[in-house]
Amino acid sequence: MTVEKFSYDNQIVKNFTIATVVWGIVGMLVGVIIAIQLYLPELNFGIPYLTFGRIRPLHTNAVIFAFVGNLIFAGIYYSLPRLCKASMWSKVLSNFHFWGWQSIIVLAAVTLPLGITTSKEYAELEWPIDILIALVWVAFGANMLGTIIKRREKHMYVAIWFYIATFVTVTVLHVVNSLEIPATLTKSYPIYAGVQDALVQWWYGHNAVAFFLTTPFLGLMYYFLPKAANRPVYSYRLSILHFWALIFLYIWAGPHHLLYSALPDWAQSLGTVFSIMLIAPSWGGMINGLLTLRGAWDRVRDNPILKFMVVAVTAYGMATFEGPMLSLKNVNAIAHFTDWIIAHVHVGALGWNGMLTFGILYWMVPKMWNTDLYSKKMANAHFWISTLGIVFYAIPMYWSGIAQSLMWKQFTPLGILQYPNFLETTLQIIPFHIIRSLGGTLYLAGIFLMGYNLLKTAKQGKFVKEEEAEAAPLIIEHDKMKRGMIHRWLEKRPVQFTLLATVAILIGGVVEFVPTFVVKSNIPTIASVKPYTPLEMQGRDIYIREGCNTCHSQLVRPFRSETERYGEYSKAGEYVYDHPFLWGSKRTGPDLHRVGGKYSNLWHYLHFEDPRQMSPGSIMPRYPWLLTQILDTSTTAAKISALRSVGVDYEKGYEKFANEDLVKQANLIADDLINNGVPADWNTDVIALIAYLQRLGKDIKGNQIK
Amino acid sequence: MKQNNRMLFLLTTTITLLLGSTNIFAAEGDTSLDNVMKFMLIVTLFMIAFVLWLIVVYSEKEDSEGKTFKAPLIAFRKFLTRSTPIENEKEILLSHNYDGIRELDNRIPPWFSMLFYGTIIWAAIYFMVFHVFDDGQVQSKEYKVEIEKAKMERDFLVRTGAFINEETVKFVDDAASMAEGKEIYLKNCATCHGQNGEGLVGPNLTDDFWIHGGGVKNIFKVIKYGVPAKGMISWETQLDPKKMQSASSYIITLHGTNPPNGKTAEGEKWIEPADDKQALTKGS
Repeated sequence: MTVEKFSYDNQIVKNFTIATVVWGIVGMLVGVIIAIQLYLPELNFGIPYLTFGRIRPLHTNAVIFAFVGNLIFAGIYYSLPRLCKASMWSKVLSNFHFWGWQSIIVLAAVTLPLGITTSKEYAELEWPIDILIALVWVAFGANMLGTIIKRREKHMYVAIWFYIATFVTVTVLHVVNSLEIPATLTKSYPIYAGVQDALVQWWYGHNAVAFFLTTPFLGLMYYFLPKAANRPVYSYRLSILHFWALIFLYIWAGPHHLLYSALPDWAQSLGTVFSIMLIAPSWGGMINGLLTLRGAWDRVRDNPILKFMVVAVTAYGMATFEGPMLSLKNVNAIAHFTDWIIAHVHVGALGWNGMLTFGILYWMVPKMWNTDLYSKKMANAHFWISTLGIVFYAIPMYWSGIAQSLMWKQFTPLGILQYPNFLETTLQIIPFHIIRSLGGTLYLAGIFLMGYNLLKTAKQGKFVKEEEAEAAPLIIEHDKMKRGMIHRWLEKRPVQFTLLATVAILIGGVVEFVPTFVVKSNIPTIASVKPYTPLEMQGRDIYIREGCNTCHSQLVRPFRSETERYGEYSKAGEYVYDHPFLWGSKRTGPDLHRVGGKYSNLWHYLHFEDPRQMSPGSIMPRYPWLLTQILDTSTTAAKISALRSVGVDYEKGYEKFANEDLVKQANLIADDLINNGVPADWNTDVIALIAYLQRLGKDIKGNQIK
Repeated sequence: MKQNNRMLFLLTTTITLLLGSTNIFAAEGDTSLDNVMKFMLIVTLFMIAFVLWLIVVYSEKEDSEGKTFKAPLIAFRKFLTRSTPIENEKEILLSHNYDGIRELDNRIPPWFSMLFYGTIIWAAIYFMVFHVFDDGQVQSKEYKVEIEKAKMERDFLVRTGAFINEETVKFVDDAASMAEGKEIYLKNCATCHGQNGEGLVGPNLTDDFWIHGGGVKNIFKVIKYGVPAKGMISWETQLDPKKMQSASSYIITLHGTNPPNGKTAEGEKWIEPADDKQALTKGS
């Protein structure tokens, strides 16, 4: 038989590896800074670009797409050619992918602090960057599928199944969630409004976790864990079952982020039941990983790489059990909007993604530099520092979440709120936040240790740029599907496999979206709900720019403790003009959906100048620049037109007069402020923001118990 | 045999607890501390059972000391995992070889299948209960029930006099209430109405004129609900009703004190209705 010679490109893996470590440090450093800002608001140094609302999205984007993202690509560019016994399909695409992805990250790091954001979590980047992401992602997918098609190995290994599912699903998620109409180069409005936007966003948000943080990592686990342990994978049958079950079921579970919201009940229930059904398929990955280590447990004790992997897989198991539990409505009633969720995602991110990343890097770098790890001792130290970091991070956050939630819900024997002042509950959890930031710092310190260790390893070895390999060419046989061998048959056919995976991941989304978009009774209209005035609309965009939604929800849930505190619970019909929806996912501060009319204009003005002069002890940052920054009214016309094209009822031609109305309304507010003794200018940002806040939640009249 | 029973006991306890607390699976709304504790307890027990099971699964070695304890558990483990022992691994080693990675063909663990099918059945039941056999208005119904319960409790408290509202509020001038009223006034009201009620941003509280009516009931109402349009905030959620009664009463005692820098009168002259006046004079 003839044997073909080819080589594996290690250079691209090296590039992605360096990017992983560098962006990891950046992303986690920002994380530590915002964690400290939650008890030391002055840590933004009075600079608008460093306020919590603007750099929190920077943190999440950096760790998800830059740190974890680059590692995924490093791992795939390493494992895929070896599993396919072929070079990557196109070096040009590999390089375009690398540099394209890095420029997306740099653009994110610039635009997010500038306040250029769509406000949709993990999809904050504005439309020009969205287009770039799509291009780079498709280049990656083409390169990957090309390699698979040109492979010399007859069958596709389970890792490749997960890579394919990742590519297909992320493409669908990104495109559907980013459908938006641009108003200017840096501002667009999603085509969906309110409840529909919320549903699409959390379908995306949930499956970004599923198909960016989970499936590619399961793929990587299936390659690197058996390699590092030198043991066969426990069960091939289990791989098949849990792969298909996982990708089919995951896509349905998005609505569990919207329990007790204005989303229709049936959609919420789907979110709950599909989350529960996900326990077993998720655990399938965990047990296949852990049981692969059967007979190698003695090696786990003295091999730091295996240690990292065991903790990662265990953390995966814990997080995927906790997730479904959080999807039960009565657990969610307590946990939603609190630190419990932050703890949960960090068990996943620090435990599963972080620890597996470290394990992979410690294994892969010595291989590519053809040497041994510089210091096993240091890697062990890293292991313990990170593990401690996770513990110090997660435990205080569980406490803090449950404590604050119970305080929110506590009534006195007389039936009135025990802690009517939200701030009281905030002050209560500050000690937990301090410990959490220490946990995060420990974890960050571990990365520096790893960076040093890997650098030293690279120095003592010699980088193998192209790794020579040889294999017999693939002979295509046209065999028939046999009973009991169907999947084996499919593993030889990447095109059919990809199509089938696409069908599997589309079903859930279609079943949830179509009725919510088409059936009117799902979002009952309310006649009194009107579009925002031009000034309120501009104020809303400032609200988005400053990232107010990272700390304030706009969703009063149907609980007595919430309607007593905030007012009538939120109805689906109230959000029909909200492009995008701004329900938020965390209540670091109080809900704002019914804040309109609750305080005077003066109160808001002084509160923005320095929140602590109105609420002593508040942890909200100061926003003095809002008081002087001139409102940009040149965009009003373009924004009105863009909003009309996504379905907001502005009359034709209104954009020409919109600014007249804007000036009128702004002057009313400015006059009121001046009458109350503050020197306000009608054309400042703060006026528009106050106009928006005073409008919030006033379209319907609520009722409460008297 | 004894150990076998113990294991059985452990299992049945866990299952009973899980079933017995079906409310943790139901949609239930606002949950009290009791439910949280109950939930945590169940989760903890579940986790303990899980760890025990892991120990059982991984205790592969049969040492002479532990044999009596482990023997029944191994049978149990075999029932749950059906995994092929490592010694016989070659029998189930597949021909697959991907870059040196081999695959075994272990059976899917029966416990895994049970869990998977169990959750699917549970999901079907859950959906049927709320959306097929019921009208699917899950959360608005829950809310109605919660509010009705609260209303009943509130009515009872109002009737017994424990809860004061604008109908039942009375002028009180005992020393304790006065002290409390003054403290609340200075802490919350003085910023806008002046240290002595002379009026600043807010109106003068010492003259005969009232914008929203004088007397303890009207004052109580303004404090409770506020007048948001004019910047007076609602104190309903911040002060308990007794405190608002003390504050209202304290404000009434400011009448006629004529402090310096008094703000110009606003609103209409207030004449106390006959019966309230009686109550007032009786009180003072």
